[in-house]
Amino acid sequence: MCNPSGVVRARGLVKQYRRVRAVDGVDLSVAPGERVALLGPNGAGKTTILFMLLGVVTADAGKIEIAGFRLPKERGAAMERVGFAAGYLPLPERLKVREFLEVFGMLSGLRRPQEAVELGLDRFGIAHLAEAAGNELSSGQRTLVGVVKATLHHPELLVLDEPTASLDPDVALRVRRGLERLCAEESTALLVTSHNMVEVERLCERVVFVSHGRVVADDTPELVAARFGRADLEGVFLHLAELREEPS
Amino acid sequence: MSWLRVRAIARRNTLAVLRAPQRWFDVLVWPLVDAVLFGSIAVAFGETGAADDVALGFFLSAVLLFHVVFQSQVGLAVGFMEETWSRNLLNLLVTPLRETEYVAGVLVFALAKVAIGITVVAIVAALAFTTSVGALGFALIPMVAVLFVVGTSVGLLVIGMILRFGQGAEILTWGFLAIWLPLSGIFYPVDALPALLQPVSQVLPTTHVFAAARTVVDGGALPWSELGWASLGAVVLLVGSAAFVVKMLAVFRARGYVSRHT
Repeated sequence: MCNPSGVVRARGLVKQYRRVRAVDGVDLSVAPGERVALLGPNGAGKTTILFMLLGVVTADAGKIEIAGFRLPKERGAAMERVGFAAGYLPLPERLKVREFLEVFGMLSGLRRPQEAVELGLDRFGIAHLAEAAGNELSSGQRTLVGVVKATLHHPELLVLDEPTASLDPDVALRVRRGLERLCAEESTALLVTSHNMVEVERLCERVVFVSHGRVVADDTPELVAARFGRADLEGVFLHLAELREEPS
Repeated sequence: MSWLRVRAIARRNTLAVLRAPQRWFDVLVWPLVDAVLFGSIAVAFGETGAADDVALGFFLSAVLLFHVVFQSQVGLAVGFMEETWSRNLLNLLVTPLRETEYVAGVLVFALAKVAIGITVVAIVAALAFTTSVGALGFALIPMVAVLFVVGTSVGLLVIGMILRFGQGAEILTWGFLAIWLPLSGIFYPVDALPALLQPVSQVLPTTHVFAAARTVVDGGALPWSELGWASLGAVVLLVGSAAFVVKMLAVFRARGYVSRHT
């Protein structure tokens, strides 16, 4: 399902870690403004796929193009158009939130990042955290700051790895609304991994299920659930997780 | 190269140090202790008649030059380790930041550490031992430049080892220098070393800088041949270290070692 005008165009991705084939021939595309979830049980290969798309892990085989730039050769130009946040990453404890965001705004090419920082903090309702140190924040607040960091430079593609893993429902809602607004206003494409299937159904218009390093379904949430004969994505997830547990 | 990104890295490192008093130990306390320790040793030898006043100049100039290597190397390596300690490496890797920009940013910060470190030694020399390390004169400039390149190179080697072997390799930040500096004849000529080690010492660029410094402090002209060999060695070392860290980064990406830091 490769879109020729996609923000993400990946074909035939392969990654082998010693005896484990983490990713085995994955094709993935994301169109501008599209909200896509990359789903699958633990060890399915989601994070490896994300890391390959971000140029952090080198693919053994396959081709990757992000916003029209080939990886790994044009990684720098590609990353100027990408934002990334992960729910599991802490903030550097010796930086205040505002300083952290300004540094990353500069790294993303913003000459005067202050204004973007103010707007970003407002967008996600955390302006009051600007002067807090990284180690003073709750995990939910850290996640919100991470999302603000990822969106400061108006990326064409926003990659979020487990963005709401540790969030209370009200904070998760705030993140989801902020992301929906961002995608709508700026045509930002979203590629997200999550274990929260309800949230994925609400946020994403397309889901890509991965199992054993391969794409096993790629469609709207409703059609994917129907294809596996399940009522919802949670059912598909559990089905795939059970298959993973069975000896091959 | 984007100077904006270089500035961002320099700023991030400066803020990290300003907020961490323990990080000031390297910059202020260590050069202070070294200057007092080796200055006092030289004075003690002087009082027994085993050394003259020049020895005090030797020792303090050597401590000052040692801190150029130390501060630049530790500044670069600890700057990188700060990213692994705070699990910020992945955040950096997914920005447009290039490796050269990262190193340049940390080196701007390391240069400031070098300036502070040698200022501390110079102040201790002047106030505690009424000796000026200014005896090196303008020779100090090329010597500091060569030693800064050596410190940077060793810092890159350490970063390469951390990329390849993980945080366990951090000990090399201090371990490399513990091996390297005695072999460089900081306080003594090469022929004072055991015969077996002398050939090793001769190939180190630092050896030739410290030898040149002793000549100048002793009232001789700057031995340009020594500095020439030192410069050549420093450039070779820098090229080798840069190639090593590029290779280790490729291994880091190929084997997915980023997961060690998430």
